[in-house]
Amino acid sequence: MPLALIDVLSDHLSEFSSGFWVTVRLVVVSFAIAMTVGTLVAALRIAPSPWLQRLGGVYVEVFRNVPLLVLLFISFAGLRRGGLDISAWVAGTASLGLYTAAYVAEALRSGVFSVGKGQIEASLSLGFTYGQTLRRIVLPQAFRTVISPLGSLTIAMIKNSAIIGVSLLALPDLLKQARIVQSRTFQTDEAFFWAAVGYLLLTGAVTLAIRNLERRFEIRR
Amino acid sequence: MSYLLDPDNWEWLFTGNNARFIVEGFLINLEIAVVSILVALVLGLALALARLSRNRVVSTVAGLWVDVFRNLPLIFLILYFALALPASWKKAWESSVPGWAPEAFQSGLVLGALMGLVLYNSAVLAEIMRAGIRSLPRGQGEAAAALGMTYVQSLRHVVLPQGLRRMVPATVSQLITLNKDTTLVSIIAITEVMRRGRIVTSSNFFSDVQAPVLHVFIFIGLLFVVVNFTLSRLSRRLELRERRRTGTRLQRVRGLEDQIAAEPT
Repeated sequence: MPLALIDVLSDHLSEFSSGFWVTVRLVVVSFAIAMTVGTLVAALRIAPSPWLQRLGGVYVEVFRNVPLLVLLFISFAGLRRGGLDISAWVAGTASLGLYTAAYVAEALRSGVFSVGKGQIEASLSLGFTYGQTLRRIVLPQAFRTVISPLGSLTIAMIKNSAIIGVSLLALPDLLKQARIVQSRTFQTDEAFFWAAVGYLLLTGAVTLAIRNLERRFEIRR
Repeated sequence: MSYLLDPDNWEWLFTGNNARFIVEGFLINLEIAVVSILVALVLGLALALARLSRNRVVSTVAGLWVDVFRNLPLIFLILYFALALPASWKKAWESSVPGWAPEAFQSGLVLGALMGLVLYNSAVLAEIMRAGIRSLPRGQGEAAAALGMTYVQSLRHVVLPQGLRRMVPATVSQLITLNKDTTLVSIIAITEVMRRGRIVTSSNFFSDVQAPVLHVFIFIGLLFVVVNFTLSRLSRRLELRERRRTGTRLQRVRGLEDQIAAEPT
């Protein structure tokens, strides 16, 4: 059994490693989209206009409550049938990115709110401008409280990226490659074992990185 | 935009049994979610207690188990069980499912889906429960022991009622995630809402009215938004009421569910 395990890996190393890097790329691109859109939506939600706030709220409620698979169907098959020629990569990363952006927005918003109002008032009364207050008082503290939710969102993103590959989008990510190896060799346990190792490596690395960051930016009270 | 809003493209919704066919599929998703969360709660509690056990071996094994299953993609688990479960297990499932169970549960396919959903979610819930229990001051358990309660008694009367209360919001948001995740079982050929959506779009199923993919899946997405939005509102209302009733702001377990719950405001 252990020998078969090693054989499957050495025979199909190129499939597994290319799948692994496709997964990494998917996650990195989606993360960039999620952070950008998430920041914009968070800005909408704390904007002074109630209409903008409502707009941000609708975004969050829609994208947080809809299954990722539905977004993938809409963005790929749906838009293609509608005449928009969208590639699997764009549809996949945009769906995962926009989906996670709703959670990023919520995490950022609660991070900003975690800084007490009194601190902002104090810094304004000390003569800091609004921009200085944001940069020197609010954001450094908000950043600390946001590290761990953003970390768990990244882990969720790694796991969710597997949905892109096996659903209708033909993207050869890690899980997809494991399926291909499985269908060729019929060694289900072995093929899935190595995919599991790949995913656990990724989620483990992110967990460690987050723990490190948290320790470095720990709030000592 | 005109493609999206063109009434001709929405006609399918009102013709034949399209809408009913899809909504019935959606109910299958909800059934799968409810069954999975109930089993996962029980298994999750067992895992949480095992992880908190004073026996080193038990707690290490439980910890490893939980960490592995909550860090693997759910779709990975579902696919694996669908492919790897021996046919005899599926047969055994089919012959042992009670006749009154919903139709979707009669097929052996659902066993793999349920195993994936339950193993994954029980691991996530175990972490939530463990954090809930650990967040209690140590004195609570010690006081119960000093009063002569056995371990089981102190769990039942002191630790769990307080610890579990702290995990309600996190559990509800995990339920919402689970609700969305039930769409993943479509990949292993269970005809729930996603499959039904594809059936409706592919073959002009009930009439010769064309049902565009975009519109069908926007409709399906809206079904999820309505149910999940209602659930999260309900959980927020409950929490606010509880806060008013007790006059305190109870500490909550946060950050361990898949996607973190919103703060009630």
